[in-house]
Amino acid sequence: MSVYPPRSPPAPYQTLVEALQSFEGKTSAAFCFVRANGSECEFSFQALYEDIRRRAACLRRLGLQKGDRLLLVLPEGEDFVPTFFAALWAGVVPVPVYPPMSLGKLSAYVDTLAAIMASAQPKFVCTPQKLENVLWPALSKTPSVQGILSAETLQNPTPTECMQTPENILPGDTCFLQFTSGSTSIPKGVVVTHANLVANCKAIMVDGLACREGDVTVSWLPLYHDMGLIGFIIAPTLYGLLSVILPTTSFIRNPGLWLEAIHRKRGTLSFAPNFAYALTNKRLRPEALERFDLSCMRAFGCGSEPVNPQTLREFAQKLAPTQLKPTAMLPCYGMAEHTLAISFVGLEEEVRTDRVDKGLYEAKKQALPPPACPPDGEAPPPQTLEFVNCGKAFPGHEMAVFDAGGRRLGDRHVGEIWLKGPSVAQGYYENPEATEATFGGGWLRTGDLGYLVEGEVYITGRSKDLIIINGRNYDPQRFEWSLDSLPNIRQGNVVAFSRPGKASEELVVVAESRAPDKGELAAQITQHLSELFQLACADVVVVPPGTLPKTSSGKLQRQKTRERYLKGTLLSAAAPRPSSSGNVQLRALLQKARILGLALVGKTRLRSRKAAQKLKLAREAAQKHARHWLSRK
Amino acid sequence: MGNNNNIVALFAKAAFEVNGKSFNNLTPSTVIASLGMDSVAIMELVGFLEEQLGLRLPDEDLALVQTLADLEALIQRIQGETPLPA
Repeated sequence: MSVYPPRSPPAPYQTLVEALQSFEGKTSAAFCFVRANGSECEFSFQALYEDIRRRAACLRRLGLQKGDRLLLVLPEGEDFVPTFFAALWAGVVPVPVYPPMSLGKLSAYVDTLAAIMASAQPKFVCTPQKLENVLWPALSKTPSVQGILSAETLQNPTPTECMQTPENILPGDTCFLQFTSGSTSIPKGVVVTHANLVANCKAIMVDGLACREGDVTVSWLPLYHDMGLIGFIIAPTLYGLLSVILPTTSFIRNPGLWLEAIHRKRGTLSFAPNFAYALTNKRLRPEALERFDLSCMRAFGCGSEPVNPQTLREFAQKLAPTQLKPTAMLPCYGMAEHTLAISFVGLEEEVRTDRVDKGLYEAKKQALPPPACPPDGEAPPPQTLEFVNCGKAFPGHEMAVFDAGGRRLGDRHVGEIWLKGPSVAQGYYENPEATEATFGGGWLRTGDLGYLVEGEVYITGRSKDLIIINGRNYDPQRFEWSLDSLPNIRQGNVVAFSRPGKASEELVVVAESRAPDKGELAAQITQHLSELFQLACADVVVVPPGTLPKTSSGKLQRQKTRERYLKGTLLSAAAPRPSSSGNVQLRALLQKARILGLALVGKTRLRSRKAAQKLKLAREAAQKHARHWLSRK
Repeated sequence: MGNNNNIVALFAKAAFEVNGKSFNNLTPSTVIASLGMDSVAIMELVGFLEEQLGLRLPDEDLALVQTLADLEALIQRIQGETPLPA
């Protein structure tokens, strides 16, 4: 039974600016920011309305016009929220970017920031004075930047004039640019319109969460990330709800603060990636839970990286003494290219998984229940795989599964998930090639693999090689290219991929090398990735040249490498065969010479004497090469 | 927190408590980002240090810390700003 008054939410607006205008005269609390030192400050919708218009006037005085980009590097919610909304009021396109990480490598941060700025071409950068020095090296590389707007200036603008009337904004106008977690090879900014946000927020708040007056959202998610920004800044304000915001670093230092805030503020809705639930399971002491009453919680959403059902079950179990309902755990599926949310499971459902026959899945790409075991238990039970149900597409949206040839597949056939509907973003900013590849042809191609059962989706993997660690996306190429610079690495012969881990996915690197000390090279690789990306490499495997599987055109096959790694057959499946025997190597090379010779014969069939001569030369060259190679070993 | 050995010992202890990682070759000039810990583990470690020392290290200042010596200087500065009861 619901404890909330059965009142439907107000009709959504056409644009976010319309929603901002509705803040006028509304005295209820919009945001409560919990600061790092534990103190709090609350803003009513009316106070926010005043602040937004003052800040918008400030932006206008700087000469920022409709469509100009404003980069936001603002770690504090109190600065971020009113500045973000002020930009919308003035028609300026905010570009939220993550601030430098604690104890991180600044040069790596500056490089990423410079790449984002090269793409977004912002006119101004808004940041607190303390970070200005850190950002300068990136700013100096971006000619479009006219200056820095300090967060402190916006807090107390002089003169205190207001921009009374907002810029004229249409639903199809760009609202902001979402750079996808900042760590792909060339950062891509997803273009999100007002219409996208209105549609997706309705899907989240009405269709997904059935929000009602009295709902309180609680989040520590970074504000520059789609789930934090849309889920906990934009959606709650569109529906007039109180949003409680904690600093991300406070949660990671002490996960108990998340639950404490929910308890104290009577929170009802909160979301986090899988790793956060695992971190809470690991760090929270049972005695810390005794004073919490979380019976108020309606939904603990889990998305933005693969959902581990065991993590959620453990979390629900651990929190049972707080009166948390098991149905509160809500696996979901989303991505920035679809604004944010794609599907949620039903509110009253427990975490549900599907067990499928492993053999059929791997051989035929079909997700079928395993055959029933005979009751006498004579035959061993068949091997199965378990996938988490992530719910149905929202009303007005379409989700379908396609094979590699673009044919639509039926239920329980595994393929790439494609999406259609009003939440599909407009593309990547100023990047028509990448836009066509992902958004072209009327569908958004997610790069995720999965299957449908009566409209409900099960995500099984990714067809793109994307690596997601702690909720952040990484393009494997970026790791691979960065490692090319290390001595003893064979350029272009490094593969990075992910393997399932307990809390999140984990990074694995396989590199070909002739380095005598493989352990030392592995340590160098770990250190290099740690410095550049602040990532722990779970495993580094150094293999002899020729081990990594490649296509006929010589392209590395990441998924095949990953499969072999997971099966433990990386070395045994290597071609040419195990490097222990020199004769085997020589034979392989002679074989290659014969094939090469035959190919030459084929091409020069008409001039047979010349062809024979070429064949002989090719063989000799191959033999020489083989001897030289063996003598170096 | 008077000398360099203290920050090395303290950091090593924190890394072990949080991550189960043993670092033997730490020096004041060790770059923290080179130790193979991810950003979540590093923030967990900062939380442990803060609890041990009874202080709070501001995020903006932590962003500028690169080496163990930088970390020590920051801790000393914060301790100077808010003296702890003896």
